[in-house]
Amino acid sequence: MINVIFLILSLFALMGAIGMIMFSNTMHSALSFIVTVMALAGLYALLNASFLFMVQIIIYAGAIITLMLFIIMFLNIREEHAPKEPNKYINMLVVAIVLTPIDYLLFEAFLRMPHIGDFTTKIKNFGDIKMLGDKLFRGWLLPFETISILLLVALIGSIVLARKRERK
Amino acid sequence: MNIILIIVIVVNIIIALLFSLGAAPILVWVERRVAGFIQDRLGPNRCNIAGFRLGGLIQSFADMLKLVFKEDFRAGAIKEKFVFSIAPVIVFASAFLSYMVMPFADDLVIGSQTFVMQGLPINLGVLWFLAFAGLSIYGIILGGWASNNKYSLLGSIRAGAQVISYEASMTLALISLLITYGSINLVDIVNFQGKLLFGFIPAWGVVMQPLAAIIFIVTAFAEANRTPFDIAEGESEIVGGYHTEYSAMKFGLFFVGEYVAMSASSALIVTLFFGGYNLPWLGTATLKEHFSAIMWIIVVALPLLSFLFGRWIVKNNVWPKTDDIRNKETKWLLRMMVLMNMVIIAILAYFLYSGIGVTGTNIAVAVIQVATFAIKLLLMNFVFVWVRWTLPRFRYDQLQNLGWKVLLPLSIANIFLTALVVVGFGV
Repeated sequence: MINVIFLILSLFALMGAIGMIMFSNTMHSALSFIVTVMALAGLYALLNASFLFMVQIIIYAGAIITLMLFIIMFLNIREEHAPKEPNKYINMLVVAIVLTPIDYLLFEAFLRMPHIGDFTTKIKNFGDIKMLGDKLFRGWLLPFETISILLLVALIGSIVLARKRERK
Repeated sequence: MNIILIIVIVVNIIIALLFSLGAAPILVWVERRVAGFIQDRLGPNRCNIAGFRLGGLIQSFADMLKLVFKEDFRAGAIKEKFVFSIAPVIVFASAFLSYMVMPFADDLVIGSQTFVMQGLPINLGVLWFLAFAGLSIYGIILGGWASNNKYSLLGSIRAGAQVISYEASMTLALISLLITYGSINLVDIVNFQGKLLFGFIPAWGVVMQPLAAIIFIVTAFAEANRTPFDIAEGESEIVGGYHTEYSAMKFGLFFVGEYVAMSASSALIVTLFFGGYNLPWLGTATLKEHFSAIMWIIVVALPLLSFLFGRWIVKNNVWPKTDDIRNKETKWLLRMMVLMNMVIIAILAYFLYSGIGVTGTNIAVAVIQVATFAIKLLLMNFVFVWVRWTLPRFRYDQLQNLGWKVLLPLSIANIFLTALVVVGFGV
């Protein structure tokens, strides 16, 4: 049962990802990206990471892609505005071939992981918000704070850059 | 899987359905009658089945039937047919799903089993609501975009901008609440509010976090696309906004979805700020302890309230001609009320006589809590309706100013304040 759900979700995630680069209409690309994001959320839920599942939906599906759709609609991007890509499929094929060794490496690493195909959780409350919070704020406080400062810097930086361009 | 488990799950799902879907026609009725009252007119009150008008409630069902049987017209200019059709479904489904984590009653204990009284018994609570309330915006954005119509597109853009800006303040207001409650589980949150502050004030969210309550209620209005934040459909500027091109049941899904979303927002507001299923000063433990006294109170109060309600019906719905069809309604309603009174009092008298037992007390307390939740929910929905017919619509720039320059700084300040109090006093 759990394998079937896993397969269906992975299939949706892959199809969404392929659709996103294949569609020439920007809106369709964004829509198929949503499919990928939601399927990934489902995979997290399957792995018992309930907090990550919710955060994936709230942040990615709820905020980031909404923002993307908003921008696409705001600029009213149509198919004829997009740049022409005459060798799109050949390029994709070349990239796929170039990436094969890395795929193989990932596959090997995956096969050597312990407990493959075992979906039972070893720790009670694994992936729960309390558990995650404890780990983040007790064991990994410094990296956590460093990452948040990095995000803050990026946020302020983007606003500063956007303002500069406006004045010219 | 035993039989009690299945019964409790089915009952939970039925209650969730009643509160979300079943509430929609009632809310439409409340909206129209309150609008009539506020604008000094009557509102719908003529539609009837064999004289039964129920104060105009039948009109909502007639409207629903009309929407189902109308022609489903789609303009030829619409090319994205799939997206066009799926948009109302997204709005409806996400509003409906966001309802499923609201606790109607405290955890029910039957024998050795404990049941969580929610549509979906999961403990993600607030996060689940945020996730699916955020998804409903896709329906609006996609519907407006697929309509291939400038008014619809404008409506969608406005809705998108509004939801993105208000979701930030909503989430931040929630964080200060979660610091206070120390849990994201809605049952824990409600049980926290069952306690007393200084021994006499119920520790409701609105007392503990008044600023967060105001911010959250304002943003909930924006999230549900209700006036004064309904610029997405602003009929005086952009025709119907995102649902201009929709007709029949596709429009009906948008329409019902809006009411379900409003009801879900009210349910969350009640759960977070107004004690959820708790009666003030009567937590679950107190209710269980003094249950026979409460049964006595019901036995005395129920006939009294019914008598007053009956007098009100007679005053408003008795007409001079004896063969007037409307007099029949009054007669039947009064009979039904007497019958209901007799049945309830007979049951309570039996329990008072023979004793109710632990399981019986638990179930009865759950019933009382579901009723409390329903009443609070109705009152909160009334506030939504009241505001809609009292305040005018915000202009777009005013709306963005309010969201980013007032609500966001206030909610961040509130987080710092709350954290200082919690850390400083170790509450």
